[in-house]
Amino acid sequence: MENQQDFQYTRQISQQYPQDKRFLLAILQDIQKEYNYLPRESLYMVQEYMDIPLAKLYSMATFYKALSLKPKGRYIIKVCDGTACHIRASQTLTDEISKILKIAPGQTTSDGRFSLETVNCLGSCAAAPVIVVNDRFYGKVTPSMVKTIIDEYGGIYS
Amino acid sequence: MQIIIDKVKCEAKLGETLLTIARRNNIHIPTLCHSDALAGQGNCRMCMVEVSEGKTKKMVASCIYPVTKSIEVITNSETLTKMRKTLVMLLSARVPHNNTILKLRQEYNLPPVTRFKSDDEEECILCGLCTRACDEMGISAISTVNRGINKKVSTPFEEPSTVCIGCGACAHVCPTGAIKIEDIGEERIIWEKSFELLRCSNCGKPFITRVGFEYIKNKINTEIETVCENCRKDAITKKLRDIYGF
Repeated sequence: MENQQDFQYTRQISQQYPQDKRFLLAILQDIQKEYNYLPRESLYMVQEYMDIPLAKLYSMATFYKALSLKPKGRYIIKVCDGTACHIRASQTLTDEISKILKIAPGQTTSDGRFSLETVNCLGSCAAAPVIVVNDRFYGKVTPSMVKTIIDEYGGIYS
Repeated sequence: MQIIIDKVKCEAKLGETLLTIARRNNIHIPTLCHSDALAGQGNCRMCMVEVSEGKTKKMVASCIYPVTKSIEVITNSETLTKMRKTLVMLLSARVPHNNTILKLRQEYNLPPVTRFKSDDEEECILCGLCTRACDEMGISAISTVNRGINKKVSTPFEEPSTVCIGCGACAHVCPTGAIKIEDIGEERIIWEKSFELLRCSNCGKPFITRVGFEYIKNKINTEIETVCENCRKDAITKKLRDIYGF
């Protein structure tokens, strides 16, 4: 968890953009990238900088899937559940990851290392079922490969 | 400019919406997400009408359709009723126990919707009129949060708002009465926040929140008396009567 000092970087992120509403999403995305979530303090700072109601910011922050108000894990595992992946049993992959990490889709492990998400299509249907961990791509994944993939990122501490 | 609504000739100004013109001419168009105090939203689609321009026909939401040329409008037809029936059916699937929607459903002779699992407590149809009213008040204490089936109207972080003035505009415009506003003695509770109510200096009825009163005073930058709407109307009526000697 970052301390109060660290959130001050939000100001620098905001100031890279003009004080115009249309840059709001870009600012929020940058904050999300920096802290892996949108800290409350950051939202207050952006509100002050942009001079817009907090309700509007909160509305945006809860609308976009790419933004999160809860801290996300260092490694975000995205399991594709688009039509092609779904047919090729992507659900079994989600179940397997859930079993190993002991979290449901949308949750983060208590050590803050892994987050599990299901997404609707990653655009690589030929390689179904697909998993993406942060920016790394895995195609034609089988449940037996899941453990190896998680181990690549340090696995679970037992 | 002249347009024809349901065979009635109506005077119209350029840019006026069809709904405004119809209302002025006492032609009924059903609406949910509309308040005369606010601009049209085009969310609920209940106000759909048929517009004919020469040979082409199209369906438009009358609350946001501006008149630009002479057109012919039909506010009621088989197709329109069918569309409205579908809308009411979908709405009653969302809020099966809401009185406004229940009445509409009976009006359109529709059976109860049993196909979907619904939340019995839900009263909100997410028309967005309340957030619009709050924005117009210059407060923006509430907004829609989340998306899809989890969408709802709420204050930031779902905590009592720091900016809400308890004016109750949101509850006042809500077509389904979904926003809870409680006045108990000199206290008003709305959006889980409590406000002190000021009493009318004339009749003694609590009528406005203290913060709301201060907000209005600052906004118009003049001293105003703490007089409720009814007493103010009475005072004006009396004044007029005195002037014209009725």
